[in-house]
Amino acid sequence: MKLRIEAFLSSTGTKVVIALTGLALYAFLFVHLAGNMMFFAGQDKFNAYSHYLISNPLIYPVEIGLALIFVLHLVRAVGNFHKNQRARPVPYHAQVPVRHTSRKSVASTTMIYTGVLILVFVGIHLFHFKFGPELHVNDAAGQPTDVKDLHGLMVTQFSNPLMVLFYVVSMLVVGTHLWHGSWSALQSLGAGNVASTPRLVSTARIVTLVLMAGFVLVPILIFAFYRGAGGTP
Amino acid sequence: MNLKLLVWRQKGPQAPGRMVEYPAPDVSPDMSFLEMLDVVNEGLIRKGEDPIAFDSDCREGICGMCSLVVNGVPHGPDRAATVCQLHMRRFHDGETIVVEPWRAAAFPVVKDLIVDRSAFDRIVAAGGYNTVKAGGAPDGNSILIPKDQAEQAMDAAQCIGCGACVAACKNASAALFVSAKVQHLASVPQGQPERYRRVRAMIAQLDREGFGSCSNEGECEAVCPKQIPIANIAAMNRDYVRAMMPGPLALALGGITEAFEDD
Ligand code: FES
Repeated sequence: MKLRIEAFLSSTGTKVVIALTGLALYAFLFVHLAGNMMFFAGQDKFNAYSHYLISNPLIYPVEIGLALIFVLHLVRAVGNFHKNQRARPVPYHAQVPVRHTSRKSVASTTMIYTGVLILVFVGIHLFHFKFGPELHVNDAAGQPTDVKDLHGLMVTQFSNPLMVLFYVVSMLVVGTHLWHGSWSALQSLGAGNVASTPRLVSTARIVTLVLMAGFVLVPILIFAFYRGAGGTP
Repeated sequence: MNLKLLVWRQKGPQAPGRMVEYPAPDVSPDMSFLEMLDVVNEGLIRKGEDPIAFDSDCREGICGMCSLVVNGVPHGPDRAATVCQLHMRRFHDGETIVVEPWRAAAFPVVKDLIVDRSAFDRIVAAGGYNTVKAGGAPDGNSILIPKDQAEQAMDAAQCIGCGACVAACKNASAALFVSAKVQHLASVPQGQPERYRRVRAMIAQLDREGFGSCSNEGECEAVCPKQIPIANIAAMNRDYVRAMMPGPLALALGGITEAFEDD
């Protein structure tokens, strides 16, 4: 069977693309969280790990790939949103949620908005930790080396309560997006039947909660136990 | 009981429409919703006014013609029922009831509360049938179909094509309708030869009609008078992926999704 271009442009195909890219980004978040957890292995180990990561030449294709997946997800989702808006030009005088078996929620009705907020967050986040001010690990003679002190940077950033608040709120937004997005992606790709869909939904939501709890805990733990310290608690 | 109606009035497809208020006095709680509208219309006709146009046929929940959004919910407050099966005892004295047509670009208003749902017919005409000549009726049980598959096909085939799924969806998506039409054939042996061609053709027509895409919220399932589950949409997507993607991708996705199909 040959690949037909309409496979990616039709309504169902668009949802398949959004689902595949969404799940790829979801998977990336697990890798990201595993990296965050390395923080608690100690300053030297964490800095060595982050140095190994960013000095690896493979990081560039991976970063570019990730950025492309992000952009593809966003572009197709925004296009889809506009098409969906056009599908109902005259709004209802009074439309109310049906409830009953429906899974309509704050999360499912705000996907486009939480998505845009996530885009803004990612920009700010990259500025905080990737393109922003840098700290460097000093060598024995007290001279800065080219090894970045990401551990120190995280402690500095998350010693500020406003920064902790910003990240916790941002993670709530991401979590809201994934509350609907995680299981919706699976359904778009064709997973589930009458019996298994409810299990699929609850599994996706539990996994999402665990993931988001992890991300929320990191800045809170740093604020609670490492605040103001150069590194070790 | 005495009620007030707030009804969408629109003279024709191009004319602008608006919500108009009508009194509905002396309504019996035993009337059906459509009988109540009949009585209001008789009053309008007596006064020389244009009666409120709305669709209906069987008035017993099997034909799919009636199509009113009552107080913001397609087919009104009762679940698993069409609006012709709704009775006035569901409302209380003095209430204002908002009545609107299905709202979708693909369902243009013909007049007042009547919309043109021929988009559904064109989607079915695009592939929602078997092209094989069936001949005379086959002997009973000459094609053996496992009970669960037969049930699945029957559940999907219950769709009466009323369009409430489109009316309820925030995207005016027809995914539930199309998935029901795809699935009732994909679930039985007779539907297999054209299974993948069918899903491709029907989704292509669906897009040409200007419906939105599916956000997997399930408002459609909740208003569906026949309670067709959105798991049918997953099954349709599964077939679509198999029909459209190159081997490895379809195999991978098909394999992943089949893992959720076990019971
Ligand atoms: S009039 Fe036939 S289903 Fe309501």
